[in-house]
Amino acid sequence: MHEFSRTSQIVEAVLSEAQKQDAKEVTEVEVEIGDLTFLGLEQVEFAYKILTDKTIAKNSKLKIKEIHGRGKCESCSYDGPLSYLSDPQFHISFPTFNCPKCEKPLSITAGRECIIRRIRIRK
Amino acid sequence: MTSVVQSAPGEIYDIELDENLKRANDLIADENRGLLRKHGVRAIDVMGSVGSGKTSLIEQLVPLLRGRYRIAAFKGDLTSEIDSERLASLGIQTVQINTGRECHLDANLVRKALGKIDLNTLDIILIENVGNLICPADFPLGSDKRVVVISVTEGPYMVVKHPFIFADADVAVINKIDLARPMGVDTSALSNDVRAVNSKTSVVLTNCRTGEGVDKVAAALGFKSGS
Repeated sequence: MHEFSRTSQIVEAVLSEAQKQDAKEVTEVEVEIGDLTFLGLEQVEFAYKILTDKTIAKNSKLKIKEIHGRGKCESCSYDGPLSYLSDPQFHISFPTFNCPKCEKPLSITAGRECIIRRIRIRK
Repeated sequence: MTSVVQSAPGEIYDIELDENLKRANDLIADENRGLLRKHGVRAIDVMGSVGSGKTSLIEQLVPLLRGRYRIAAFKGDLTSEIDSERLASLGIQTVQINTGRECHLDANLVRKALGKIDLNTLDIILIENVGNLICPADFPLGSDKRVVVISVTEGPYMVVKHPFIFADADVAVINKIDLARPMGVDTSALSNDVRAVNSKTSVVLTNCRTGEGVDKVAAALGFKSGS
């Protein structure tokens, strides 16, 4: 939903770091995006291409690592991936924030990220 | 002897950045939460679809709660003061937050609104988010509790199609139950969908035109009705 504004934040942060490092070129950018955010990865890539055009990151490769939702159970010892419910009648698959073991609420520990992990530059 | 290593032109460097782009909003949300706690004010983020009855719910909650609590309301919209005038006519302090083009409130806008009121004179702030079942989920405001309002006129699949908004929802309000039969919508199936997505969320059925069920919303939020 907010791919363009989030991606422009990414590009802004990358270019400002590159400038700090006196980079001639940005060759690679590695980001992590959680699957519980509303960021469509294809649209992020599309926005990245447009936003980096005419910058020193023009030819850089955007590597997106998708982080899957995880949760920790408040009642039992479960600490792992969220489970998904599905309704084959409508081809809907949706996450549940309940524990797959005991059905009690989970607290979410991963899946909401939008982080720039690393950039690769040429000086 | 000291050896010196220098970068040569054209060399490749990896730089660890670890820059969290959601941190800016989350930090301000935490500040808002701290400020509200310090003043003993409980803020409720009322999220929900367009036309589901968020403003009507607030209109019904205020008379129930005003005997015991001092209440203000923030009203988020893209533009206009239509709803904040509705809320101000209840005789409570109201701040309209116009987002312009943004489809959700964020922590910074709420911080600005908090600057417009005297927190020492309040117990509760009801924050009505922009009508949207998607984006507000990504933008915590620093509220004490989050409510999601949906209504039967939106059809039977609102919950399973928008599960993410329920991840942090303390209370889900299913409104317009008087129209469930003409709409052919089963409210117990909708309630079960909410529980399947998040068993922490309490479900309350309401008719916010008559006030039916609104006392249960107040109780689910931990408020006492009456004087």
